Amino acid sequence: MFGAFRPSQPSMIGLLWKTPWKLSRTRKANVRARLKQVDSVIQAVKDSGVQCAALTKALELPKENEMPPRDKYTVFSRHAKGYRKGIHKVPKWTRLTLRTNPKGF
Amino acid sequence: MISLASFRSCASSCTRPQLRQLATAASSSASAAESEPLTHYRITLRRSAISLPKNIKGTLEALGIHRRLQTVYHRHSPDIAGKILTVKELVAVENVPASAVRTKLEQRLERKAPRGYVVTGSKLHAEP
Repeated sequence: MFGAFRPSQPSMIGLLWKTPWKLSRTRKANVRARLKQVDSVIQAVKDSGVQCAALTKALELPKENEMPPRDKYTVFSRHAKGYRKGIHKVPKWTRLTLRTNPKGF
Repeated sequence: MISLASFRSCASSCTRPQLRQLATAASSSASAAESEPLTHYRITLRRSAISLPKNIKGTLEALGIHRRLQTVYHRHSPDIAGKILTVKELVAVENVPASAVRTKLEQRLERKAPRGYVVTGSKLHAEP
């Protein structure tokens, strides 16, 4: 049962990386910090006084303080049970805009 | 603006408490600088665009950013604003007045450490 030859998942099937089902408290705090950072960029562009389509579009996004926790830490997925999965399952998720849901979800 | 320039010139040669004093002086003079119109974006790349789509990497190139933590200055304009918003997850942006704009060389000289000594003269060519 114990020792170097115990039947654990890595020893039986080789390389095994597990992604936790949900984000830890620290990772969620980091998510919020990143969202605020992006908000500050949008705000800076807004304060500069220029007008462009990209800005109108960016201002339609909900701010970090307006988003429900559900939207901050999970995303829509058509395959997942309940149509939600953890946002950390999305490739490159820390550098993407994933703030809004499809209509009706 | 004089205060900012003097801050820059002596920031390298001052001790820490002096620096703090200067920093507070600079922040108080920042309100004076606010009267100056903010005309430029100060854009710093905080997150790398490695393995992101080509259009995002290309946008960074178009902004003149080639490496992480590089800072560039651009005048306020809709096309630059659009480019910033394309890469909004990767950059930090501030609005600054025209006097705060620095070229690459000026930025490097500001970062440079002081030499630690002053050459007062040479005895080689001194008259006996």
